[in-house]
Amino acid sequence: MHEQRAFGTGPPLTRRQLLKITLAGGLLAASGTSLWQWTNTPRLHAATFIGAAATYDLNLTQLIGQGFHELGITAATIRGKRILLKPNLVETHPGHEHINTHPFVVRAAAEAFLRLGASRVLVGEGPGHRQDTLQILEESGLAEVLNEDHIPFMNLNDLVGTSVPNAGKQTALSTLTFPTVLHEVDWIVSMPKMKTHHWTGVTLSMKNLFGLMPGLYYGWPKNVFHHAGLHESILDITATLKPHFAIVDGIVGMEGDGPLMGTPKPLGVLVMGRNLPAVDATCARLMGIDPYKIGYLSTAENWLGPIHERDIEQRGERIDSHQQPFRLLEHIPATRDIQLVKS
Amino acid sequence: MTDSIILSHLQRVRASQTARGGFADRPDGQYRPDCTAWAILILQTQTQDTEQIDHARARLAAELHTDGRLCISPEHPDAIWPTPLAILAWTGASAYQDARTRAIQFLLQVQGTHWEKDPTNTIIGHDPSIPGWPWVMQTHSWVYPTALSIVALTSAGIREHPRIHQGIQLLLDRQLAQGGWNYGNTTVWGRELHPFPETTGIALNALAGHVPSDIVARSLAYLLEVLPSIRTPLSLGWGLLGLSAWRRTPAQAAHWISECLARQRRYGEYETVSLCVLLAAALAPRGLSSLLPSPGESESRP
Repeated sequence: MHEQRAFGTGPPLTRRQLLKITLAGGLLAASGTSLWQWTNTPRLHAATFIGAAATYDLNLTQLIGQGFHELGITAATIRGKRILLKPNLVETHPGHEHINTHPFVVRAAAEAFLRLGASRVLVGEGPGHRQDTLQILEESGLAEVLNEDHIPFMNLNDLVGTSVPNAGKQTALSTLTFPTVLHEVDWIVSMPKMKTHHWTGVTLSMKNLFGLMPGLYYGWPKNVFHHAGLHESILDITATLKPHFAIVDGIVGMEGDGPLMGTPKPLGVLVMGRNLPAVDATCARLMGIDPYKIGYLSTAENWLGPIHERDIEQRGERIDSHQQPFRLLEHIPATRDIQLVKS
Repeated sequence: MTDSIILSHLQRVRASQTARGGFADRPDGQYRPDCTAWAILILQTQTQDTEQIDHARARLAAELHTDGRLCISPEHPDAIWPTPLAILAWTGASAYQDARTRAIQFLLQVQGTHWEKDPTNTIIGHDPSIPGWPWVMQTHSWVYPTALSIVALTSAGIREHPRIHQGIQLLLDRQLAQGGWNYGNTTVWGRELHPFPETTGIALNALAGHVPSDIVARSLAYLLEVLPSIRTPLSLGWGLLGLSAWRRTPAQAAHWISECLARQRRYGEYETVSLCVLLAAALAPRGLSSLLPSPGESESRP
């Protein structure tokens, strides 16, 4: 309100001030935000952690533990909690290991949570295309890792669900149905692969939540959300579920025609944080993508989390020391003109 | 694979029956219509399960909406995809003729959202104007519900209906150039997507008896290539059902099924639908429809 009064009743503006405001307004308008909204919406703040790991063979458990420490997540935070890890498993094809969250990242996250005293770690996923979740689990290599580590897996597509009111109200869906088992865990951890996406620009920790929605109710593909609006559905699911943490596998991501047909993009990072929009905005910047040009992220700002760089405290590695522009395809509207333009 | 292996797994299916007659995804689980229909399809091949099957059929009939739809749960009246499964489960049971007829009528009138194909639009490769069947009302038509609806309607003797022709046209349009089907997209942004064994198997079941074999030869070849290395129940089960519908059952099929069942030592018991699909592959000599009672048998059953 203070800033609103300043615009409405303050002293006349100089030409230089007016020019600055006009330019800022133009940039904000391009991002779908009005100057009034931008200056008057209470700013949300969050921290994200970027950890460097050039390969999957490094000690990722230690790296995730470091991220916990940097983000203030201690044994007191995790002790006794039941943790659901939700990796991104979509399809498996020979030579396309970069489609899915790497099994070693899932293993490391499980170990890191158990070291902090988690009472139980589960892994769950409901792939959006395949009904045969077990085959994806096997061919991705995750089945072997979970079997060795005695970590249970749940096929979320097949679990009976519970409907709750849609808290996001961005789509016309009055309720959302989540697997009932989600009520039996304390933390939901989204663990996506860092990828471009040919419908939504990027697929990161928020889009990854589609895999929580049972195919029993939403089909294969989960076409209900396409019809309701993809960006809007991402927001509704995030707003309703309020996941607790995200760990993004950006050690090798996917650029080009993601989420399936793109090419590997080694970025060498894990990105973590408690606020999913902030994590996704940081990932977008690492990918050389402007988060304000991703519809759901732009809308999420200061509602579900911070998006602006000044509102996200970066811990661990710096963005600019690992930023590598992902290849974006001009013929795909969702990835056209979304590059981050340095001022 | 010995009969005792099959019998022990049939026992596991029986154990998932709930107090009110339906079946759950596992023993002590909650009723699900798809599990119930699959359990009926498998257990009706045995002579001793008449009473159990009748209770299950009655449960499905009790859940049927007045307009003939069977939904995955009361909270999801638009998730209508179990309807063709119920039609199959009521096959041969005269006591459920009315329910079956209502479900058939519903299936004949429901269709997925579709729109005119724009020849200049290269985003998706398939023809979106062909009506098929959706998983959920007010969404697009996809391979699994379309194929299952064709199998169900064909089993009911409806072979020449325009909806069957549309469904067949849809499946042929969605067949990948490399062979096989996935969930129902062929190309997106100019790139051909990959096939899946499970949807390829069900599409081949739907097309058997409707189209000549040369039209699906590349999809049969796809399954023959991939199945030797697949040991998960849905993909192997549907894949083998797809091949058997076209009389291409590999000689090693029983061995593969046995190996797949043995993997439960690692993963725990398979949920009911996956187990039933795999058992169907073991019990059905010529595709899913060969599990169903023949017309002669139909009249003698309650």
